[in-house]
Amino acid sequence: MDWTWFHKWGSPKWFYELSGKWLPWLVGSMVLCLTVGIVWALLFVPQDYQQGLTNRIFYVHVPVASISLAFFPLMAIAGTVFLVWRMKLADVVVKVAAPLGAWFTALALASGSIWGVDTWGTWWIWDGRLTSLLLQFFLLLGVVSLRTALEDSEGAARACALLSIVGCINVVVIKYSVDWWNTLHQPSTDFSIAADQANGPEIWVPLVFMILAVYLFFAISLILSTRNEILQREKRSQWVMELVKRS
Amino acid sequence: MRPHRRKRLGIILFIATGLSVAIGLTLYALSQNIDLFYTPTQVAQGEVAAGQRIRIGGMVREGSVVSADDSLAVEFVATDYVHDVPIFHEGILPDLFREGQGIVVEGSLDTAGVFQASRVLAKHDENYMSPEVKAALDAAGASSESHQMQPGT
Repeated sequence: MDWTWFHKWGSPKWFYELSGKWLPWLVGSMVLCLTVGIVWALLFVPQDYQQGLTNRIFYVHVPVASISLAFFPLMAIAGTVFLVWRMKLADVVVKVAAPLGAWFTALALASGSIWGVDTWGTWWIWDGRLTSLLLQFFLLLGVVSLRTALEDSEGAARACALLSIVGCINVVVIKYSVDWWNTLHQPSTDFSIAADQANGPEIWVPLVFMILAVYLFFAISLILSTRNEILQREKRSQWVMELVKRS
Repeated sequence: MRPHRRKRLGIILFIATGLSVAIGLTLYALSQNIDLFYTPTQVAQGEVAAGQRIRIGGMVREGSVVSADDSLAVEFVATDYVHDVPIFHEGILPDLFREGQGIVVEGSLDTAGVFQASRVLAKHDENYMSPEVKAALDAAGASSESHQMQPGT
């Protein structure tokens, strides 16, 4: 098997140049999806038969919560690549993804709380779903502080990679918490193709736009902070110095 | 893949699998304690002692809600359509509270077997639709039910 495609990722310079070309396209598609999605979701989606207008926070909460579950798997893959192949770029991803993930998890918790206070009648309850997501928030803060707590940067990188792999187990718990246990949180929705059924296209089509927008926003934030970290780590290298001189 | 890399990957996979199994077994053992609420059936089977602070989850039985005229006191029956638990609550109910709605109540059973709730929370399900779709579904459901009942009546 030819591994050159894989080893290219070992070059921060190669990634920096390539991602610079992706960014305008990603930003353009995000703005498009976000405009369509948010206008549709907030103004044109029919009011819910039970929850009325409150239900529209669904279009923020679901995309944010679903992307927040992607961080540990992403960091675990990057962490494994770093541990096995000692690829520098992979460690950069583990490092920059942790604080981003903490922000997205905090947003999921906050939007869920706002939804909960209006429908359930409480901001917070210690049920399986809410508690396991809060645990993810603290685990991500743990990865962030582990990095700063260890002085040896190589050792910190390995410890963070390992914690990221272990943290993945919690993602499975979050995902299935609503099926395994009695919770106040509702289970995942099964969307329907038919227009005359519950959860039909009038509900999920705008959700698809919002999910795309939030996923693109995630990709853009990850790429921007990865590029930033690359520049800081490679500041003494020839290509970064030339880049600074040119600008 | 070089041998030392294959070895490192093997160690990582071993640690990850071992931890998943350990945590999986722990959660399986704890699953009873992680449940947020007891069901009316569990209460009827005597799993709960009077005075113990617990949560009960169920549906508000249709036609069971009685509110006091001069206070916020309300009585209703929580049911899982197998067993019932009478609930007493004095306080503000969530907007989604209505007959047939899923609820979670927090409090304790008194000696008479009435659950004295200090807090009532509304559950909502994972189905979202417009009032028009809901009405159409209800109409279709009602007609098929009456259709089913005809042979018996």
